[in-house]
Parts: sequence; structure tokens; C-alpha cells
Amino acid sequence: MAFAKPAATLRSATGIPTGRLAVWWLLASEVVIFGGLLGTYLMFRLGHPEWADAAAHTNTWIGAFNTLVLLTSSFTAVLAHQAAERGDGKTAAKLLVLTIGGALTFLVVKGAEWTIEITAGYTITANGFWSFYYTAAGLHALHVIAGAIIMGIIAADAYRGRELQRVELIGIYWHFVDVVWIFLFPLLYIAK
Amino acid sequence: MSENHESHHVNYKKIYFTLLGLLVVSVAGPFAGILIVTLITAFGIAIVKANLVIQNFMHLKWEKRLMKWMLTTSLLLMALMFAGTSVDILNHEGRNWVNVAAMAAVERGIEDGEGVAETAEVEVVAAGFNVESMFTVVCATCHGQAGDGTGAAGAALDPRPANFTDPVFWETRDRARIVNVIANGATAVGGSALMVGWSASFTAEQIEEFADYVEEFRPEQ
Repeated sequence: MAFAKPAATLRSATGIPTGRLAVWWLLASEVVIFGGLLGTYLMFRLGHPEWADAAAHTNTWIGAFNTLVLLTSSFTAVLAHQAAERGDGKTAAKLLVLTIGGALTFLVVKGAEWTIEITAGYTITANGFWSFYYTAAGLHALHVIAGAIIMGIIAADAYRGRELQRVELIGIYWHFVDVVWIFLFPLLYIAK
Repeated sequence: MSENHESHHVNYKKIYFTLLGLLVVSVAGPFAGILIVTLITAFGIAIVKANLVIQNFMHLKWEKRLMKWMLTTSLLLMALMFAGTSVDILNHEGRNWVNVAAMAAVERGIEDGEGVAETAEVEVVAAGFNVESMFTVVCATCHGQAGDGTGAAGAALDPRPANFTDPVFWETRDRARIVNVIANGATAVGGSALMVGWSASFTAEQIEEFADYVEEFRPEQ
């Protein structure tokens, strides 16, 4: 049987498809990146009771709305994966576009939120809390932007029925971005 | 598709609505006004939500054990970092050290109620400024009440806090330098970062008063 592409694309010595192994490998490194940042924030937050006054200025409702947006986009991403498994590239592509819509909504809301805060004088240099706030949410937002771009490329392929296995891979990445936000939300918005 | 991925019959819709329900609980939690309830609804539920997403949406449940070990390794590295550094960051003083800057930040932040060191503090200080009592509060912790560099908080500092009663100290100091260091910190003259500047907390006149006070410790020639 002849392969249309290198065998390593679809299999590996571990028995896990190479692409999926690579995505998980990336996420393992992301765990350390975000874990280090959030762990450090947690330590400083516990050591500085006065940060509670700064944290009181974050808007829980905006944070909750963005959580809702990301959870919903994770749902459409997993439905896209389900469609790709059935071999239905067109449906998968449409669901990925919906997911990108979620990413854009998230970013627009975040942009508005930051504008309000920065205008009110809560800038990245205001104090330790705001430094962590912008660094953590900013690093997360960069991941949202990267995910949305990659998703656009994969959706274009999937629409033509190509590289359907990638729909699952971008989904796994996207759910991770969701999981990071699931922890950022209580850390920055709820614990006051 | 991969061999182990076609047989899951996950009800994604059910998981999604469970996640939304949990989100509502985590937002509602703080309204009870009880700290422990807030902590559980915030972080306990975050862990439950994350786990639902990881197991069902990311399909970790069905991944090979190798993958789980890989992620466990990452989490262990994270825990190791936390365990190794948290003691020094959560505490602001230990047996042989004091984190003067962190303690001052907590004090300033709690005073102005904003968590941000702001000009409000200058007014508070200006209202009842008395150089002698302010020296006790601000300077003597390291430089000592007698100005001899033996303050309790200064005991572990390296370099040691300056001893204003030492003639050698005055060989290399003049009035301008004293004022400069009090206002802008010793780094302004290439000295230790442990002597921080106070220009944000005191007016120029008050800093002159501090300089007068410091010069009173100068031994007679």
C-alpha cells in the first residue's frame, strides 16, 4: 500500500499519531509556562493582602461572560472534531468558523475591558497585581490569537475535505486555552 | 483516524451544559459572603471544570498512559517550583532576613486602601510630620534609633546599613549626597539598592529635615 504522504504523519513508534503527540508535547510545555506564571502570581497574591483592594476593581461580569464565550467555543470545537471523524469536512469547517467567532468575541470584550481599566489608571505598572493581571491575561490572549489563525487555515483545508485529522489537533490546543482561562477567571476575577 | 478514537460516545452537549451550570455556581459563590464558600466555588469548581474539559473534550481519558505521564511530569515540575520558592515569597521575614521592600509595600497599600502607592500617602504624612518620630518609623528600623546602623531589620542586610556615628562615613559624604540618597535611594550614587528612595512619600522640605536629623549624628571632629 502506497502512502500519499510520509508515514510519520499518521503513525509513530508510540502508537499515538505524530500530530497528536506533538500537540500534547507542546501543551506539556505550556503547562509549565502558564503554571509558572500563575503559581508565581498565587504566591505574591497570598503574600500581599493589599492586592485584594486592586483586585476588587476587576469586573466579574465581564470575566464571566468571556468564560461563557470560551466554554461555548470549546463546545463548537469538539463538535467540529466529531464532524471530522464522520468525514464531514464541510460541517467541521463551519463549526471551526463558529469557534473563531468565539475567539474574536473574546478578544473584542477583552479589548474593551482593558480600555476601561487603562483609562481609569489601572495600567501594567500601577502595582504588582495589575502587572500580573495584564501579563497573564495578555499571554493567554496571544494564545487565543494564535489559535484563531491556525484554526482559519485548518478550516479552509477541512472545507475541501483535506487534512481532517488536524481538526482534532487544533481542538485539543483550543480546549487547553479554555482550561487556562478556567483558572485565570477565579484567580483574577472571583477571589477578591 | 486513530484506532482508539472512534468508539467514544461522549454526550458533548451534556458536558457543555454541566460546564455552564458550574460557571453559574462559581459566579454566585462570592454572593454568600463567606470566604471558604468563595474559595471552594472559585477554585474547587475551576478544577472540576478543567477536568471535565481535559477528560472529555481533549479525550485524555482515552489517551495512552504515556501521555498522562508526560503531563504529570509537567505538573510535578510546576509543584517543584512552587515548593522551592513559595516559602521565600509568602513570608516577608525569616530567621536571618527581612524583605523590607515587600513589607513597606504591604504597609503602603493597606494605608491608602487602593493597593497602589499613591500621593494620598504624602498628604497623610505631611499632615503630622515630625522628623524625629518619622525617623523612628522609617529610618531607625535599619539605621538604629541612635543612627549607628544597628536597627533590628538591618541586622541581616548586606551591605550593612550606614553608621552615621562613624567618622569614616562622613569622610566621603556631603550635604548634597545625603539629600540625594534619602530622596532617590543609594543606587542614585552607585550604592546599595536596599536603601530605597523616599521622594514619593515625603516633600523636598521634609527630606531636608531628615538630612538635618542625620547630620546631628555626625561625631565632632
